[in-house]
Amino acid sequence: MDKISKLSKNIEVVSKKTAPTSRRDFFKKTAAISAVAATSVLSPIKIKADDTAIIHDAPWGVKLGDKVTKNPYGVPSPYEHNNVRRNDPLLSSGDSYATVSMCPLHESEGIITPNGLFFTRDHGGTAHIDPDQFRLMIHGKVKKEIVLTLAQLKRYPSVTRTHFIECPANGSTDWRAPQYNNLQFLKGMMSSAEWTGVLLKTILDDLGLEDDAIWMLAEGSDNAGNPRTIPVEKALDDAMIVWGQNGEALRAEQGYPVRLLVPGWEGNLNTKWLKRLEFSDKPWHTKEETSKYTMLQKSGKAIRYFWINEVNSVITSPCPEKPWTDLKKGDLVEVEGIAWSGQGTIKHVDISLDGGDNWVEASLKGLVLPKSWTRFSYIMRWDGKPLFLSSRAVDDLGSVQPTIDEETSKQGVESIYHRNAIVTWEVTSKGVVNNVHIRKHKA
Amino acid sequence: MFILENTKLKKIIAGLGLATSLLLLSGCVADKEEVTKIAVDGGVKYETKNGMYTSYHVNTQETKDFKYGRAPTKREISAWDIDLRPDGKGAPMYDMKHGEIILDVDGNKKVAQGSVEWGNELYDAQCAMCHGDFGAGGKGYPTLSGGEIDSLKNQLQNPADDIQTEEPPRRAIGSYWPYASTLFWYIQDAMPFPNPKSLSNSETYAITAYLLMENGVTVDGVEIDEEFVMNREQFLKVKMPNENGFYPQVDTPKNPKQGVVNVTKFLGNPSNYGTGIRCMTDCIKGKIPVLRIKNEMNNFHPAVSIVRDLPKVIKEEGAVHPGLAGYEASCSACHENAAIGAPVVGDKNVWAEVITKGIDKVYHNGINGINGMPPKGGNMDLSDKEMKIIIDYMISASK
Repeated sequence: MDKISKLSKNIEVVSKKTAPTSRRDFFKKTAAISAVAATSVLSPIKIKADDTAIIHDAPWGVKLGDKVTKNPYGVPSPYEHNNVRRNDPLLSSGDSYATVSMCPLHESEGIITPNGLFFTRDHGGTAHIDPDQFRLMIHGKVKKEIVLTLAQLKRYPSVTRTHFIECPANGSTDWRAPQYNNLQFLKGMMSSAEWTGVLLKTILDDLGLEDDAIWMLAEGSDNAGNPRTIPVEKALDDAMIVWGQNGEALRAEQGYPVRLLVPGWEGNLNTKWLKRLEFSDKPWHTKEETSKYTMLQKSGKAIRYFWINEVNSVITSPCPEKPWTDLKKGDLVEVEGIAWSGQGTIKHVDISLDGGDNWVEASLKGLVLPKSWTRFSYIMRWDGKPLFLSSRAVDDLGSVQPTIDEETSKQGVESIYHRNAIVTWEVTSKGVVNNVHIRKHKA
Repeated sequence: MFILENTKLKKIIAGLGLATSLLLLSGCVADKEEVTKIAVDGGVKYETKNGMYTSYHVNTQETKDFKYGRAPTKREISAWDIDLRPDGKGAPMYDMKHGEIILDVDGNKKVAQGSVEWGNELYDAQCAMCHGDFGAGGKGYPTLSGGEIDSLKNQLQNPADDIQTEEPPRRAIGSYWPYASTLFWYIQDAMPFPNPKSLSNSETYAITAYLLMENGVTVDGVEIDEEFVMNREQFLKVKMPNENGFYPQVDTPKNPKQGVVNVTKFLGNPSNYGTGIRCMTDCIKGKIPVLRIKNEMNNFHPAVSIVRDLPKVIKEEGAVHPGLAGYEASCSACHENAAIGAPVVGDKNVWAEVITKGIDKVYHNGINGINGMPPKGGNMDLSDKEMKIIIDYMISASK
């Protein structure tokens, strides 16, 4: 605790300079700031006595609203137009087909991502499949090879489960140093949904696998195909062929009409626009499991078939986009975040206010499901002193999220993928939040 | 001063024996759960018990003998099953299309083969604009050649390290890719980027051979030269320099099941890739080492904002330009990316200069190719008329 007080130099209430003179001025100021960087976008709006927002009739209260029939498919409030996926052209050298759009985690509520905000990673653009032309072929070392139409596939008994999907490159820009000062780009290569489809086991038990069917190839029908090898053991465990996402058909960006769901595993194993499953006694070693999605280590050798997304967590409130600049000294405030593990169920999440020197256990919140986002919460009174806020997740396997040093001392900094080290937000005395690394690291 | 209220920890301490309490006092929490079954990924395996799968209720009625669908025909499988494996499975003997062998004018099966020389021509026409001359990169898309296996040990600048290395590891085909099968398969299936699946098997062998030559890969110990002709027989002899650069060992022909077991064993031990310790107090011991952002990446589209106001009303545009769809489908992969070197659509200055050549010359260049751009950008199914409409759009969008 001493260290926290040592870190604090000036204790301040929110600066009056940032208080807006008018609503219009406030938006002008914040827009100017947000165009440059994602800092300090929250300022306190002071409500004067006899607030016009209360004593005057609101314009929407004195006339008819939209017709109920206006939007056969509903759209978000126009005021929510900044809650969108974003992209950084630098991540793909300007190409906008083989690239990724980031989920706005700072605006994410609960453990479900709205379909329109689900992060998207394509290798050759988003394909649009005619559902009448959709065919799924299952062949190779199966006793009964089969071709299914979409309608036939959807006749199998369905299950509905909540799972996150995370690209293993999530957070990869931070291997060497912090580079993004926002949550959306630091951790936005993941999203979560309630998926509906058939367990692969249901189909495979019926078709019958040959004794030496050990590996399964899953391939999409888009221009990149994105074939990947998956062990049959996973296919028979919890893998699904899904067509439903949060109560409706999959979005095109998520593989409409059908994708593979491989709970907890690397995002790109969840083949979108699925067309073919082949069974074999040997792995395929596809491009996306050799030249890419392999983790180069200090030895010069690379790890392959690193299927899992390891135990992980991040604080979503506060974060650089959602700072504490509107808080007053002594305010009670909730620290909230998301924890997840591809190898199990979240068991504990710890919070540190001093960059990981001392920890306290936070509460888990809401549904706690395997291989799913899990919300955590810690309510504290902020005395206006600077903090280093960190979270650390533990799953039911006993895996503990590592510090940056614990991870890089083992792996070096060239792995690209599977970075799950503890994230730390610096909270300044003004409530501004920055992405920092707590690391000593010697290679 | 914050009061860290750790009621849960207090309860744990109260309920534990002396030895564990001492462990807690020393700052560590022992928290190994009782895991009954390990999944293939080394994680927890959940089973359905009493109609429940973890928190989910399950219908446990028997599901056998569905009669949906039908068996695929041989030709259907042949049309879709074009994958290659390192053991040579799928490397084509003959040129195939739509699941059938292509016959030459005499009715003989057309052998799939291609020379390095031909591959060089094809590469220059259809690949160099994105991957650079000789696969050297520099156009924003992946570099395909150059680099040594030794470079893979380099760890590029970690600002917290004392010693800085200058060269990053080079993950090109010759220095990193373990198998040539991947190269052929990916080119055949997914390249060229704007026109995937447009190359014949012979053309793919030719480009593969050319890229292997540029990477100094040998076939059966012999260096590949311009005259070298790649076909199935030669292809099976290719051994990539970094084949042994990967672990765990998954190719276990004597016992095919062992490969999966090896991965399970590896992933099941998190200390293989870095794991944490659940320390609770005085974990850092000393000054807290903070590293802040030095070079911030903030080129976001759209700009980051959490403002909740009404969006600007976008002026209603007139009818959509008839060339827009064709541009997006066939041209934008290069013409919206400054790294390629093609005139970027929307760049007024560049296009003003292009137009000084006269519109007929611009049409001519688009249809017949110019610099790195192949005729019609490689989209030979576009008519001259369609090309002109697309070019009109590109000009109008850059005014």
